[in-house]
Amino acid sequence: MEVFQALQRLHMTIFSQSVSPCGKFLAAGNNYGQIAIFSLSAALSSEAKEESKKPMVTFQAHDGPVYSMVSTDRHLLSAGDGEVKAWLWAEILKKGCKELWRRQPPYRTSLEVPEINALLLVPKENLLILAGGDCQLHAMDLETGTFMWALRGHTDYIHCLALRERSPEVLSGGEDGAVRLWDLRTAKEVQTIEVYKHEECSRPHNGRWIGCLATDSDWMVCGGGPALTLWHLRSSTPTTVFPMRAPQKHVTFYQDLILSAGQGRCVNQWQLSGELKAQVPGSSPGLLSLSLNQQPAAPECKVLTAAGNSCRVDVFTNLGYRAFSLSF
Amino acid sequence: MSSESSKKRKPKVIRSDGAPAEGKRTRSDTEQEGKYYSEEAEVDLRDPGRDYELYKYTCQELQRLMAEIQDLKSRGGKDAQAVEIEDRRIQSCVHFMTLKKLNRLAHIRLKKGRDQTHEAKQKVDAYHLQLQNLLYEVMHLQKEITKCLEFKSKHEEIDLVSLEEFYKEAPPDISKAEVTMGDPHQQTLARLDWELEQRKRLAEKYRECLSNKEKILKEIEVKKEYLSSLQPRLNSIMQASLPVQEYLFMPFDQAHKQYETARHLPPPLYVLFVQATAYGQACGECEAGREEGLWEQRPRPGGTGSTACRGKLPGPAQKPSAHRKSSQPPRQDKMLSVAIEGSVDEAKALFKPPEDSQDDESDSDAEEEQTTKRRRPTLGVQLDDKRKEMLKRHPLSVLLDLKCKDDSVLHLTFYYLMNLNIMTVKARVTTATELITPISAGDLLSPDSVLSCLYPGDHGKKTPNPANQYQFDKVGILTLRDYVLDLGHPYLWVQKLGGLHFPKEQPQHTVITDHSLSASHMETTMKLLKTRVQSRLALHKQFASLEHGIVPVTSDCHYLFPAKVVSRLVKWVTIAHEDYTELHFTKDIVEAGLAGDTNLYYMALVERGTAKLQAAVVLNPGYSSIPPIFQLCLNWKGEKTNNNDDNIRAMESEVNVCYKELCGPRPGHQLLTNQLQRLCVLLDVYLETESHDDSVEGPKEFPQEKMCLRLFRGPSRIKPFKYNHPQGFFSHR
Repeated sequence: MEVFQALQRLHMTIFSQSVSPCGKFLAAGNNYGQIAIFSLSAALSSEAKEESKKPMVTFQAHDGPVYSMVSTDRHLLSAGDGEVKAWLWAEILKKGCKELWRRQPPYRTSLEVPEINALLLVPKENLLILAGGDCQLHAMDLETGTFMWALRGHTDYIHCLALRERSPEVLSGGEDGAVRLWDLRTAKEVQTIEVYKHEECSRPHNGRWIGCLATDSDWMVCGGGPALTLWHLRSSTPTTVFPMRAPQKHVTFYQDLILSAGQGRCVNQWQLSGELKAQVPGSSPGLLSLSLNQQPAAPECKVLTAAGNSCRVDVFTNLGYRAFSLSF
Repeated sequence: MSSESSKKRKPKVIRSDGAPAEGKRTRSDTEQEGKYYSEEAEVDLRDPGRDYELYKYTCQELQRLMAEIQDLKSRGGKDAQAVEIEDRRIQSCVHFMTLKKLNRLAHIRLKKGRDQTHEAKQKVDAYHLQLQNLLYEVMHLQKEITKCLEFKSKHEEIDLVSLEEFYKEAPPDISKAEVTMGDPHQQTLARLDWELEQRKRLAEKYRECLSNKEKILKEIEVKKEYLSSLQPRLNSIMQASLPVQEYLFMPFDQAHKQYETARHLPPPLYVLFVQATAYGQACGECEAGREEGLWEQRPRPGGTGSTACRGKLPGPAQKPSAHRKSSQPPRQDKMLSVAIEGSVDEAKALFKPPEDSQDDESDSDAEEEQTTKRRRPTLGVQLDDKRKEMLKRHPLSVLLDLKCKDDSVLHLTFYYLMNLNIMTVKARVTTATELITPISAGDLLSPDSVLSCLYPGDHGKKTPNPANQYQFDKVGILTLRDYVLDLGHPYLWVQKLGGLHFPKEQPQHTVITDHSLSASHMETTMKLLKTRVQSRLALHKQFASLEHGIVPVTSDCHYLFPAKVVSRLVKWVTIAHEDYTELHFTKDIVEAGLAGDTNLYYMALVERGTAKLQAAVVLNPGYSSIPPIFQLCLNWKGEKTNNNDDNIRAMESEVNVCYKELCGPRPGHQLLTNQLQRLCVLLDVYLETESHDDSVEGPKEFPQEKMCLRLFRGPSRIKPFKYNHPQGFFSHR
């Protein structure tokens, strides 16, 4: 069975990460439905041993892959195979891994249960937005646990969500190649950008799909089948096309930089002007998620973590290089 | 002169010899003839003395005449003298005639004398002979007389009873006291008679006794015969009882013999022997029950481990005995048979001097170190000998024959290395039917590798006894690895079966043989061995098809795959470990330490149209409990591996991680075939669901024929690789 475990590790994909509210712990969910909790503070401390780079707890959260995780100030929410489950951080840390609750969005009956690819917290409204396989955005009231509304519009499944904080708008990118803006107050579609139709960024051989999204005020960056592109939302025009051939799976704004990751070992750092500032190699052949630990509670644990097609979570203490890897 | 003349005349003389007889007869008849032959008779008449006088006179006359002739001649007067000479010559002639006559007479006389002498001599001889005969006769008679005088009668040697006894005991008609008292001759005769009488009686008795003895001997003979005839009959009864014994599961006979031999086994082999025998017996009993009952309950046990199955097994101890046994048909073949091989005598010989040899060795060690320099040339040879001595195995070995259901047999021979205190095993597989050996199946059944990694990590190349390393250092053996082909493999499980337990880290430790250790491993190991052989044979079969590009999916596995699979296996070859590690797309496996050199490596090529999917396969010796590992590289619109294509990675994970659903019916030997078929299906799905590039003109190379609910799912955009059996559509996992 040693071989089987080795094989499992070899074929593990870490889809999602989430930092605990205290900033000292990192949860990572893999394709086997397991969630592992790593102690960042222990791994980053000066007397860190090999042991501290292993998960302090691993538990079976879902039957299918854990595609997405977010943390509220008390809960860890995980989703993947059609259900969202809530776990209490406090209990997890005490190694009692009992789910607090589970909810399933109201799906139309289908042969297979649609997956949930993205979770998004809207703190102001205390809403959780779920999106995935059924091409809809479901809004769940975290207070009551009821699903309030669903937003329809995508013609294929949804890969990613992003929140525009100031005007409460949600962006969603999907397999159909469109990025749609939704107004949370009216629960209506505001704007649609069909990225693949713009020649600057269209890459038909890679497909139309939008794999990642990030927003910062009026700016949006998205990538996937089409090239990674910076858009000005109000004018719906691509301003910068980043010269990256491999499809990107995760993108985020960090200060005045854009961090992106996807096919390939590296975490890419871009200037807004489109220049590649740095490419920092990680240990996985492909990356799926980046997580910036910016919790003010734990300034010593301010790190960038990247995970993807391996059982390892790379930890970058600064953006320049990979310090070490946490491993399932 | 005279003798010569006489000789010349001999015939005449002879004739005259014969003549005188006639002459004598005819003397009266013819005077003339008588005269001629009468000289002999004349001799008798004449006096020799006078003849001598005559001779003398004649000689004188001749001399005188000669002298006168001489004289006349010297005087010389011719005529007168000649007459005188003539006259005288005539006179001389007469004289000569006389001389001649005289000579003849002398001869006759001589002859006569001789004859007379001869005659006399003959007479004398005859008399002499007669005398001698007589003398001889006398001597002989004298001898006879002495002989007779010296004759000793037999009766003198015979011990006779004393006189008094004779008269006391002998009946009067024999003793005849009145006659014999006086006459010692008669007395002796009578005594002899009595003796004879007694002896006759004794002889009679003797004969009786003899016949008695004969009778008894005969009796003994008969009894002996009976006894000896009993032995084969007993044997035949024993022989005849064997089937019964077998029928009743009581192989007392063989067991007894084996136990006898087993006493000479070294302790670890003995433990192994005892445990294996015990297990074999226990198994033989419960096997039948298992085959009937258990399998039927579980027609298709899926991925459930063998432990569950084992838990359900009735243990050998709980088995109800006699009642159950008698109701079963006799088992022809036992699943496990144990035998002992080797020379018992050698083992016995070994047992006698246990300590000496080792002492010697250590002594010579010390010596050698002192004299190393001088003896350098022979050092190598000595080391060699020592190595041999160190690696020597016990003359006895234990042979286990493990029979599988399909009649293939795994022959295991266990050896004990006496000086290293470890056990080794050699394995050989025989099958019921002849196998056609596919090229790529070369190593599958080779004795060297068939048992490798029976337990994870147990390669059988290193010695399990930590103490050995020190011994090796002494004689310059680097590792045992170089010798395993010869000695057999010292797998860890072999040690455990022999009850040898070696600590992992402590270097020196007393090792004792322990029955419980062996017992606890016996069942598991035997099952593993059996599984191993079966899986190897199954692989063997599969390889034969795979090499011809046929993926031999069995009918009970058809439900795992759609009916139409377009991708085809076109190549299946074995590759070297080094080649495998050098492939660019196998780095992960190598880095994960899953590509050890005990594994077998293969390269498969699956094709569909222009797409070529290479699959590098690692076949763990523990197949099929440890699945083969596939690494893929797709050549289609560029090279795609798990590094740059999530779907290739997903396909790998489908065959490598989700292998359990591909195992097929227990015990899952079809796994490799199913994995390959699955790979073909996966390639179909991959190619058919590839999104069509709008910018490229023309139809898709691979039109979508598979029914899929969705093409992509999740952040990695995985294709629907999961096949749903009865409905026949593909979905995501």
